[in-house]
Order: sequence, then structure tokens, then C-alpha cells
Amino acid sequence: MDYHDLTAAYALDALAPEEAEAYERHLSQCEECREQLAELSGPAAALAFGTVAPAPPARLRAVILEQAAAERANVVPFLQRRWVARGMAIAAAAAACIVVGLAVALSQSSHTRSLSVSVGPNRTATIHVSGLATAPHGKTYEAWIIPNGRSPRPAGIFAGGASSMLHLDGTVPKNAVVAVTLERAGGAKSPTMAPILSAPVS
Amino acid sequence: MTRQLAHLSDEALVALAARSEQTALAELYDRYGRTAYGLALRVLRDQTLAEDAVQEAFLTIWRTASRFMPEKGRASTWILTLVHRRAVDAVRHEQRRRTDSLELAAEPSVEGVEEDAWLRLQRERVQAALRHLPDAQREALELAYYGGFSQSELAERLGQPLGTIKSRMFTGLSRLREELGEPGTEISWTTTT
Repeated sequence: MDYHDLTAAYALDALAPEEAEAYERHLSQCEECREQLAELSGPAAALAFGTVAPAPPARLRAVILEQAAAERANVVPFLQRRWVARGMAIAAAAAACIVVGLAVALSQSSHTRSLSVSVGPNRTATIHVSGLATAPHGKTYEAWIIPNGRSPRPAGIFAGGASSMLHLDGTVPKNAVVAVTLERAGGAKSPTMAPILSAPVS
Repeated sequence: MTRQLAHLSDEALVALAARSEQTALAELYDRYGRTAYGLALRVLRDQTLAEDAVQEAFLTIWRTASRFMPEKGRASTWILTLVHRRAVDAVRHEQRRRTDSLELAAEPSVEGVEEDAWLRLQRERVQAALRHLPDAQREALELAYYGGFSQSELAERLGQPLGTIKSRMFTGLSRLREELGEPGTEISWTTTT
């Protein structure tokens, strides 16, 4: 069998189980197929966003988290362990990055985040954001205007903190969405993460 | 709802989940649970089966997070691939599936569904990209991905040689990749860096 032409079907989960197993064995020996699979997996997974997504029942989240906790009941979670073995955690370079992120997360108390958008008659807009921690060093919050069905447009940056007001660059068309992400200092041309907050504008 | 890890990347969250940090798993669920459930529901067309598939996929994330390799792809791709695989496995185990017609894989109605504004934009973008594909390629992608049909089942049901189905899937996915834009402006707004 020629395995090279099975990559797309594998990315779509369209192989029979025995074919998929044979392909995986081939994959471990074929650099070319691994590269091609890496390219095709992204668009295949993007199809997940292409269908209507009704909200799952609320119990599903609870069931998953309970089950997860039960499976590792004997393990001290990382966040607690951190205080016990801080030095050890920081020792590993990878872990150190995470600790920096977490320190920020921990320093912010459990208040609610909110984003409100006020649009004026000429479609310029001001946003009011509350409950975001101050952006970490080297980072900034960035606001985006996403016109219906189009790509996000950068609309200004701000530092965060308990409460922020920002007058957005440009105008906000009807049925757009305003979103906020965390980006590198200075801001990005297009967003690099899922939005922290988003609000539709009518 | 408080999301204290909301500013971390997906990849950092997976690394935390590998260290048994439950709030990281919760944050991943808050980011992708709804998309995961929508996908599972589309493939399985049964709420209970869809819930089971999502649950199993997130527990697989929890159990295998330490094996996730960020240099090989985005965490969002990994997560949604696990969900999809679970859903497809489940639909293939369903007896009723054998008698299903291809039409049943059709897009469900948006009517009556309260959509998240952000996810609606994502859906419209992916659907617009799919519409730019030739019909035969779009059909192959949709029946395989949303219908859970294997390439051999598709060849048989569409009355086409297997080689034709394979090439439609390959060309279709490659084309979809171009339509969705260069890597880096990922549909889920997730970055690998």
C-alpha cells in the first residue's frame, strides 16, 4: 500500500482502524508524511468551527472536572506545590515561564471581568473594561474590531488594571464584534490568541 | 465566571494540565468545550453520545497532556482532533449508522440555537472558505469530517474509485488551508509561540 496518499484521510479521521494503525507505523518512519500531516491537521481541525455550536449542558463541565480530580486525587496540584517547592519549579526553564504567568494569575483576585462598548452616532466607540490584571511586562492588551464576516482590525492598546477606558481607533460597523486579547508590547497586526473578552455590537 | 488563567496561551494551559493543575483543564474546557460539543453533536446527532465523546476527549487531554508536543502543532488542533476522533469512533460503533444515508450528514439548522458571537464569526469564516471549494471536494471533506464516513465508505456510496476520493480529500484540505489564510492567523486565534 502507498501510505503517502493517506495523509489527508488520516487528518480527517477517514481511515478504517487497521488502516490508521498502519499509517501511524509508517508515520514514525516518514519525515515527509509527518510534515504533510502537520500542514493538513490545522485545516482539518478548523472544520470543527464550521458547524453550529449550541451550548453544552452545564453539568458536562462539572462532570469532567470531577472525574479529572478523582483520577489524580493523590497528586498535589501544581499551583499548591508551587508554594512548597518554589525553587524547584523555577529551576526548570520551561516551568519558570509558566510560573511568571501564574504569578500574574494569582495576584488577581477572583473578580469578574467585563467589557462594555458604547457606540456613538458616528460609529466611533469607547470601551470600558474591568477586572483584568495589569498586563505582564512586555505585554499589552489590545482591542479589536471585527466587522461581520471579516478579519479583526487592531483598535488600540491598553495596560489593563482594575478598570480601563479606551477610545477605539476607527469606527465600529453594525453587527461587528469587539474583542480584547493579550499581545506583545506595542500590539500586533492580527490577534495571536483567542479573545479574553468579546462583545457583539448591534 | 472567573477565568484566572484567561491570559495564558493554550499551550501553557496544556503544560499546566500535565502538572495536574485542574484550573488549566477548566480553562481549556471554557475555551473549546462549546466547539467540541457542537462538533460531537454534528457527528453523532445525539446529545448523550456527544456529551460522552466530549467527556472522554477532555479526560484524554488530562491524562496525556504531558505527551503533547507544542513544536508539532497547536494545542487547539490537538484538542479538537481528540474530540473528533472520539466522535468518529463512537458513530462507527452505532448500529444505526450502517443504514444512514449521506444526506443525514447535512448541516443542522441554526434556527433556535443561541450562538456565541465569537463562534458565529468563526463558523461563517470556515463555511465561506468551504464554499470556495469545488463541490466534489467540499462534499468529500464534509462527509468525512462531519459524517464520520471512512474513505472506503465514501468511495462506495458516492460510486467513485478510492483514488478519486483520496485526491479530493487531499486537494480539498490543501485548498481549505489556503482559503483560511496563512499559518499564524489561525482560525482559533491561537499561537504556537
